[in-house]
Amino acid sequence: MSELPCTSCAVPGKPTQRPRPGFWRKGGWLLLALPLWALVYHLLEPTANALTTGLFGLDLKSHWGSAIAFFLFDAPKVLMLLSLVVLGVTFIQTFITPEHTRDVLATRTGAWGNLMASLFGIFTPFCSCSAIPLFIGFVRVGVPLGVTFSYLVAAPMVNEVALFMLLGMFGWKIAGIYAGTGVAIAFLAGWILGKLKMEKHLEPWVMAITFNAQAASAHRMARSERLEAAIQGVKDIVGKVWPYLLVGIGVGAFIHGFVPAEFMARFMGRATWWSVPLAVLIGVPLYSNAAGVIPIVQALLGKGAALGTTLAFMMAVIGLSLPETIILRKVLKPRLIIVFISVVAIGIVMVGYLFNFIM
Amino acid sequence: MLIEVFGPGCAKCQTLEKNVHQAVEQAGGDHAVVKVSDYAAMAARGILSTPALAIDGQLKFQGKVASPAEILTLLKG
Repeated sequence: MSELPCTSCAVPGKPTQRPRPGFWRKGGWLLLALPLWALVYHLLEPTANALTTGLFGLDLKSHWGSAIAFFLFDAPKVLMLLSLVVLGVTFIQTFITPEHTRDVLATRTGAWGNLMASLFGIFTPFCSCSAIPLFIGFVRVGVPLGVTFSYLVAAPMVNEVALFMLLGMFGWKIAGIYAGTGVAIAFLAGWILGKLKMEKHLEPWVMAITFNAQAASAHRMARSERLEAAIQGVKDIVGKVWPYLLVGIGVGAFIHGFVPAEFMARFMGRATWWSVPLAVLIGVPLYSNAAGVIPIVQALLGKGAALGTTLAFMMAVIGLSLPETIILRKVLKPRLIIVFISVVAIGIVMVGYLFNFIM
Repeated sequence: MLIEVFGPGCAKCQTLEKNVHQAVEQAGGDHAVVKVSDYAAMAARGILSTPALAIDGQLKFQGKVASPAEILTLLKG
């Protein structure tokens, strides 16, 4: 037995004792940075325009001029917005763990379960590689298959980062539509899949393996730990996502500067009945990070693409991804995968039509 | 000590494994590092999100990529 004082004993349920910078020291810093952030954000557009005309000598109405101004404005704007959003969302997410979600959902039966699973999916982060452990963990503990599917659809499709970015860029209405329709699709898809009683289309090993529901670590995070996690989250996510973002903004800039308005209206407008299924068909095999697709959404909407079609495209891109499908193949038999993708895709198409119709 | 890194092989789990090796080097002493990619094994331990880490059979965390410094603290503690 050691005689030395233990400076880092991990007592279950209590935060570790090692010295850690206080919440208010780090938090105070951030609070001061916020007004500065707001100021810089406000100045982005005029600065971008000034740089385009002054440094590059371009007319803002010309193709190159408007494309470059869009890029110079959007790139820092999206990065700043993303950082702020990820900071807040990651902080909130430290309060909701997969174990919580699983335990809550295990006790809900029927449609309520689908609804709650869809709502939870909004606020939990979703890494494709965790899809399987998560799926097994839910199903084995008794969460109904349909409810698990509602969660699996909502988690990637209603991306919390994308949600707040849409809020920041387009306002409550569009962000609300995105969240609402995402939840609706997740709810319906899971409910339908539950009714189809496809439990026998699970790969047999899922139910055969031993499962342990108790293993989760009992560590309760201190506030400063949550803040640290949030700051680390910003570094991780922005660090991972910025190439996708720049590509997305580049595409957006191209659309903004070079694609004539009539073109978009023709392809993605309300008049053509096939624009919605086409948008979904194109979107499903494409994979982009949620943050990367938003500049494209912005450019499309700016060029007169219909809201329903654009939303459908966005949801198809981020909600269904080829990597995730390949991973899910390990637990779901092919027929169930096809049903899963089809139900979600049809749901997205219906949402697209609905919003083209009512907006 | 036996250190187990759980993950199916995506970038995050590889980073965690790398960080573990770094921490083990810094800590010195006799440690075995094992990478577990089998889903059945993960389910048997109750893991819901990857990457996850266990030391001497006890699950320390799941769903995050710990830095070498954090892992070092866990090794010492």
